[in-house]
Amino acid sequence: MSGYERIAFSFIAVCLILFLPPLLDGVARKIKAKIQLRQGAPILQTYYDLVTFLSMEPVYPTERLAFRLAPYIAFASAVSAALVLPYGRVIPVSFTGDIFVFLYVLAMVSIAYMIAGFSLNNTYTNTGANREMMIMLSIEPVLGLAIGTLALNAHTLRIGAIPFAVTFTLSVLLAYGLLAYSVYVEGGFIPFDVAEAEQEILEGVFSEYSGYLLGIFKWALMIKRFALLWLLSSFISIPLVRNIASGALGGALILVIQLMVLFLLYTSIAVIESMNARLRIEQIIRQNAGVFVCSIAVLVLAALGW
Amino acid sequence: MKEWARKITDEKVRERYVNEVIERFRDKIIRVERNADNQWMIEIRKEDLPEVIGYIINHPEWKETQLSTMVGADERPLRGKFSLIYWISINGASGDVFFGIKTYISEDDPKFPSVTPIHPGANWYEREVKDLLGLIPEGHPDPRRLVLPDDWPEGVYPLRKDFHYTDSPKREFTDETKYPYREPPKGTAVFPLGPYHVALDEPGHFRLYVKGEEIVDVDYRLFYQHRGIEKIGENRLTYDQVNFIAERICGICGTAHALAYAQAVEAAGGVEVPERAEYIRTVMAEIERLHSHLLNLGLACHDVGFDKGFMDAFRLREHVMWLAERLTGNRKTYGMVVIGGVRRDFLEYRRSMIEKVIRELREGFQKWADQTLSTKTFVKRCEGVGVLSYKDAKRWSSVGPWARGSGRDLDARRDHPFAAYKYLDFKVPVYKEGDVLARCLVRAEEILESIWIIEQALDEMPGGDILAEWKEIPPYQEAVGFTEAPRGEDVHYVMTGEGNRLYRWRIRASTYNNFPALPDAMRGNSVADAVLIIASMDPCYSCTERVQVVDARSGKVRVLTEKELTELSRKASRGV
Repeated sequence: MSGYERIAFSFIAVCLILFLPPLLDGVARKIKAKIQLRQGAPILQTYYDLVTFLSMEPVYPTERLAFRLAPYIAFASAVSAALVLPYGRVIPVSFTGDIFVFLYVLAMVSIAYMIAGFSLNNTYTNTGANREMMIMLSIEPVLGLAIGTLALNAHTLRIGAIPFAVTFTLSVLLAYGLLAYSVYVEGGFIPFDVAEAEQEILEGVFSEYSGYLLGIFKWALMIKRFALLWLLSSFISIPLVRNIASGALGGALILVIQLMVLFLLYTSIAVIESMNARLRIEQIIRQNAGVFVCSIAVLVLAALGW
Repeated sequence: MKEWARKITDEKVRERYVNEVIERFRDKIIRVERNADNQWMIEIRKEDLPEVIGYIINHPEWKETQLSTMVGADERPLRGKFSLIYWISINGASGDVFFGIKTYISEDDPKFPSVTPIHPGANWYEREVKDLLGLIPEGHPDPRRLVLPDDWPEGVYPLRKDFHYTDSPKREFTDETKYPYREPPKGTAVFPLGPYHVALDEPGHFRLYVKGEEIVDVDYRLFYQHRGIEKIGENRLTYDQVNFIAERICGICGTAHALAYAQAVEAAGGVEVPERAEYIRTVMAEIERLHSHLLNLGLACHDVGFDKGFMDAFRLREHVMWLAERLTGNRKTYGMVVIGGVRRDFLEYRRSMIEKVIRELREGFQKWADQTLSTKTFVKRCEGVGVLSYKDAKRWSSVGPWARGSGRDLDARRDHPFAAYKYLDFKVPVYKEGDVLARCLVRAEEILESIWIIEQALDEMPGGDILAEWKEIPPYQEAVGFTEAPRGEDVHYVMTGEGNRLYRWRIRASTYNNFPALPDAMRGNSVADAVLIIASMDPCYSCTERVQVVDARSGKVRVLTEKELTELSRKASRGV
């Protein structure tokens, strides 16, 4: 791999991580609007919203530093999570064991959300933070086990290297299913958006945020969704073309396919979202507990070599 | 008249009820008077109130008896006393009877024994007469303020006749002015909901006492929006004008209120309404029910994040709004009902338009219902949530889909046939589960029934006049008018007065009877469902809170800067 390819693709990666998520959000909003037979906001609306938020002074409901820092922590964590994933043939940041880093920084986004929620004496933010915690605790193990199963199969602890090495067995296919489920839940899409439920708890933590802090926080959550879906899209698209793609051109091919799969995933999620109602937290926890048991079984299958 | 209606309104059936009460309390009854076709007023002494009312309401054989309204009036200028009338109705398609249990209370001893311990449904009514007339219910389990604002001075009773409608007592809002909310049960946190909250369509304050996400108990404070409608109706407006104010009690079920008021005056004054007008009233009432139920079902979807169902329901509703606009000139607040008939006729060529709209609505709605009920996550959220037991629904005298979802078989359209319902056939859907889903299903079925009612009414509508002439309403006649609003029975009581004016007007919206049951339905549920349960009652705050003249001007006027205001609101929210 040439140094130029590395630099070029890393640059593209950073641009995608920062500026693609609002577009995806805009597309999803448009799709939902179309399903509801509405005209809907322009596709670029999420950018406009972000620009508006970022240009406004926030109102601070508390003096606590945690409240001010939380959006930045969430933002940094989300970007870091996205950086350990492959873009074309290039992984911007890669080292042995980054699989744990990925899970860790992903959890950090939720933790920042919780820090913010618990830093205030407000039942709405507290409930939001509480729900975020329960969801994270119930789904993060599933995500970990799914990635772990794939890592076991690929014999690597670099998350970005897994799709280049994974071979398809029964356990791997099941792990893909688990991965898709945990990405969906962790992304907080309906019916799992309880932590930011507007009608129930006034969007939880966001009820106290405003101005650029709100903008950064929302942006961070969008990047988190991007990272999760990019993970899934990489795991789907790279195995398809890894044998025919070589050189910088091959990298570009992979990237294009990754992007296509990403849009496809986001579109289908928007459709699923508009066809569902929000679940209650205890219903989600019960469901996730069942899925967790399945994921252990899948790991055992993988360990047995199936 | 259809066979079923003839059975219910049969004289013999009615007399059986009345005779039994008279037999039983022969020595306690002072006077019996028949006010209107189906209304008997029985005067007793105030000491006997709990016994007589308890007997009628808890009668083991009489079906779905309930406290329809209670009226306190200042009759000092007439008789030197205050009066109270408890209006109790028999429902369940077993006889069209209203009992008005009346008693007089002297000014020197303004106490009366509370009925609430026997029938909790009297809770709000008795607190209201305490607030507005200064009549004190003795033995009331919850004598806190209900209607008047926290800073209203003690001893000023706005519904007394010596309180002029322009009067404004001096009110002082200090740091000590606080509503005595119940102490949270041990180990619970307070989850405040409202007065302003995205999912509440009107201001109402709920205090949910929660353990984790479970609601242990609920307290509430309402009546943020009194507009003094009753006082204005009694002092400033003529009979005809009141009709239009009555329609403005509510932005959703205005026709139900206008109709209830018109029927009350017609009953008191003996005005005969032409048959064609009755049919037109029926069609308008059903069109109103269609749009109201579609609104509520849409909001139920919205509250659980299912926006597809929400948008689709509102799109269907829009066609109903357009239809109403074509028929009456208004999307809402039709202004159709006037005393003696209706204001506008349906032109013949409009008939096909109505038929087309409701035919499309039926198809569209069935599709909507299939889609929504096959959305598993939606059903999961509604099933088993917010269960109101039959016992609780009965004990609070609940009405409408809120009560029918809990197995109460009552519907004013069938039990006390008014307008043209007596000439039509329709079903009253009743579900026993008592959860949010049951109430949604009741509403869904009622939409289809409403469409069927409109179709029949259009087919059978006779020709002729639409407005009866009436010259004078005899003074000091009392009667109630009742309709089945989309949310349940609406009851208006009128006592006619001199000079083309009402002496007393008492509005009772359906939510007034439903609201007190809300804590029972919410206990044990999750905070996540609070809003959904409230919405499933389909509350109508402004209806409920019509009563008193409130002057918005306070003693102090000071302009706050934006910063000060923000600081203040933050401080206030911290105290919660």
